[in-house]
Amino acid sequence: MTSQEFKSQILVKRPRYANSRIPAIDILANKGSRKSEYSQFGPIYELYIYAFLLGLKRQIRLPLPPRELTSDFGLEIGRWKRDSTLTDFLLMIIFTKNDEIGFDWNELEDMEATEITGIVFKVVTFIEEYANGGLEYLHGLLDKGELDNSHYMFIDMYKR
Amino acid sequence: MASIINSISFKNFFNYYGDYYDTRYEFEEGVNIVVADNGAGKSKFFNAFIWLFYDQILDSDDKIKKNIKDVAVKIISDKAKNETSIGDNVDTGIQIEYSTGRFKYQITKSFTATRLSQKITDFNSWQITINDVQVNRTDHILPKYTPVYDADEKATIIKQLILPTLRQYSFFQGEEVDSIIDFGKKSSIEEAVRTLTDISKYEELVALTKEFKDKAEKDLNKQTKANSDHNDRLDKAIQVKQHLEQTLSNEELRLGEYEKLYDDAEQEKNDLEQNFSNAEKRNELDNKIKEKNKKTNEVAEEYTNFLETINNRFFDGSFSWISLGFDNVVEDFQAKIQHYRELHFEKKTLKNINDPNKHFHFLPIDSPDTVSLKNMIDHEHCYICNRPALKGSDEYDYIVKLKNRPTDIKNDADYVKNNFSNFFGELQMNAQPFYNKISSIEDSILKTREREDALNDRLTKLKKELKSLKDQRKDLLISGSDGEDSMTIINRYKGAIRRIADASYQIEKLRESIKKLKSTIVTTEKEIHDLRPSNIPAGYLLNYEISTDLALATERAKNRVFDNMVNLLEKYANEHFQSLIKYNDLAGGILKFEKSPSGSILFNYIDSSGNIVHGSSEGFQRMKKFSVVMAVISANTTKYNYPLLADAPLSAFGSAFTEGFFEAVGEVFPQSIILVNDLYENDDDMKLNELGKKIIKKDFIKRVYINQIDKNREQIDRTTDKIKLK
Repeated sequence: MTSQEFKSQILVKRPRYANSRIPAIDILANKGSRKSEYSQFGPIYELYIYAFLLGLKRQIRLPLPPRELTSDFGLEIGRWKRDSTLTDFLLMIIFTKNDEIGFDWNELEDMEATEITGIVFKVVTFIEEYANGGLEYLHGLLDKGELDNSHYMFIDMYKR
Repeated sequence: MASIINSISFKNFFNYYGDYYDTRYEFEEGVNIVVADNGAGKSKFFNAFIWLFYDQILDSDDKIKKNIKDVAVKIISDKAKNETSIGDNVDTGIQIEYSTGRFKYQITKSFTATRLSQKITDFNSWQITINDVQVNRTDHILPKYTPVYDADEKATIIKQLILPTLRQYSFFQGEEVDSIIDFGKKSSIEEAVRTLTDISKYEELVALTKEFKDKAEKDLNKQTKANSDHNDRLDKAIQVKQHLEQTLSNEELRLGEYEKLYDDAEQEKNDLEQNFSNAEKRNELDNKIKEKNKKTNEVAEEYTNFLETINNRFFDGSFSWISLGFDNVVEDFQAKIQHYRELHFEKKTLKNINDPNKHFHFLPIDSPDTVSLKNMIDHEHCYICNRPALKGSDEYDYIVKLKNRPTDIKNDADYVKNNFSNFFGELQMNAQPFYNKISSIEDSILKTREREDALNDRLTKLKKELKSLKDQRKDLLISGSDGEDSMTIINRYKGAIRRIADASYQIEKLRESIKKLKSTIVTTEKEIHDLRPSNIPAGYLLNYEISTDLALATERAKNRVFDNMVNLLEKYANEHFQSLIKYNDLAGGILKFEKSPSGSILFNYIDSSGNIVHGSSEGFQRMKKFSVVMAVISANTTKYNYPLLADAPLSAFGSAFTEGFFEAVGEVFPQSIILVNDLYENDDDMKLNELGKKIIKKDFIKRVYINQIDKNREQIDRTTDKIKLK
């Protein structure tokens, strides 16, 4: 398997989120139209990436419910922010966490294709579970009415 | 001597809870101020005097004056109502003490309410009995009050605190100043002059002397007839004179009608002129407003857009906020890739044992790029460490090796199942825009906030400018109607001009004719005199001659007094006006009084180059009216003997006029009691703003009270408490 093929395996994945997050997502991402009383991201994937890294920063990893209780937002990782190399930065972060995900860089190179598919699955789960953690955190603040009604809400939360 | 209010006290009157001695406000000759925030009892205080003068109060709910008996339940303090058990009574009243030169009076008006049922605010829960007005008097020598029993005398004592005809100039609330004088109507100024000065006494005198003269003439004619035989010629002359006088009277009546026509037409013309010039100014302002609006909207849009796109900075490679706090990732990745490469190339070396060194390189493919490497080889120099790499040296060979990497890799034998070397290398290369920014993100967030502040400041400034333009526009609206189209205005204007010209012509003709008639009457009188027989008792003729002279003299005196009055009015109005605007940076114009062709008083506000100024703000209009009222009072030859009682007279003035106002009223009125909120500052220890603190230090300010109400309390617990500052 070449580098390109390996990368593609990751980039074609569509990470999922729990259906219970939909109301929070509706409020915090405007998808180009709706406005809410809070600061918002544009497309859902921006909120999703933010939630993933927020979860990671705050070490909140939370498993998703069974697949039928989850949704994706119709966009493969490879199509997130296509005009930038953002996904490379995300993968860079993810691959430094290989111990937690459960693989070794060099061992990857000697794996069979099926084993690699398993690792890719683990990588996507890693993204999903931290994103779920981040979303849960946002969801909680939203429910308690503790979200700061400021345009700097996301960056302020991100700094802490 | 002037009437001076010594004190006012309340008993369970609205929020003035408690007995008279709890709520006593004491005042002195000079300026007295009661400062209160809105809702802290200014209008209620004023209402006590409305009760005193009219047995009414102004219902704050609908701004209608109502009889005390009909709204008694509203007047009683809710706290007092609540504390009254069913079957018990509660008294509500006001007590005012005032002095004249000789006497001091105490007037108490009150009613008693008996509680009948539970609901305290329900009118049916109370039975109201209005108590008799109590008036007591003392003569300053005896300290003890003695009651006044006679109802007429009581009424007179109340009346003379401020005479009813003068109350409109001396007893008013806020916007009532506007109705004191209507500058659009000349009769309004004349009415003020007539009420406040003794000019009407001259007019009475003129009428009286004319009556004397007519009587003397009749008597004389009677005597003449009795004493002359067959004096047809004299009879005829007298008839001619009577006819002439009838004609004169008719002509004077006509003159009066034309003068009214003239005044009306001129007023319409003035109104329309104002409308004309305002229409032009409006248009100019509208354009400015439009432009400013556009700019404001643009900046507002930019601002909103800026705020809404702040989160884009997380993902935009120029800001890369998303990488904030991931500093360790770069080091971790660096360490991992190094470790990975060591193992990776170890494997490779084992497979291609012939030249181990060839395969150890830590730089990713294309770093440095092929062109740069070629350049280094050509120039035998390493541009990375800036050292020579001469052909044949190790350094030179190393650069060549780097350049040949892509082909070498191809030629390499497979040493791993999946070669992900490029995958990791590319991640490190491509992610650069994100991790390179990490150290500058804090600064970038700060700059974003600064940019927002700058945009916000700009927007606020634009909005202020826009508001100022709109305020100017609003001021213009006050003095001209917006609805009429320009053609109607032009036609009406032309019509008014034509009527002025017609009336002017007629007035001139009539005056000429009146003059002629008068002179004919004089010659006729001479003829009558000559025709009279010489045997009339001397007294009759003398009486007639003296009364004729007297009538003429009084008429002239009245005219002279009137002319002087107009001059005095102008002088005083300008003095007062100047002192009112003293602390304002307003370019002061001049208030001009003139006698119109019809004999009435014309009033105009002109600028330094003599142009009539129209429009200007509501506060400014009020200032002019106040100047004129004070001028009329000052111009009076007798001193004004009544206090000024004003509730919120400054409400539309603007703070720069406030200081001048207090100085000016102090000079005109013997005593003023002014209720204001303009000097109130809740956050201050003294509850006064800066201006308030400055003003109360002045000598002419005699008493200052602050009214306080605890707004956190329920209405049934609220009381008005006072703090005496001076």
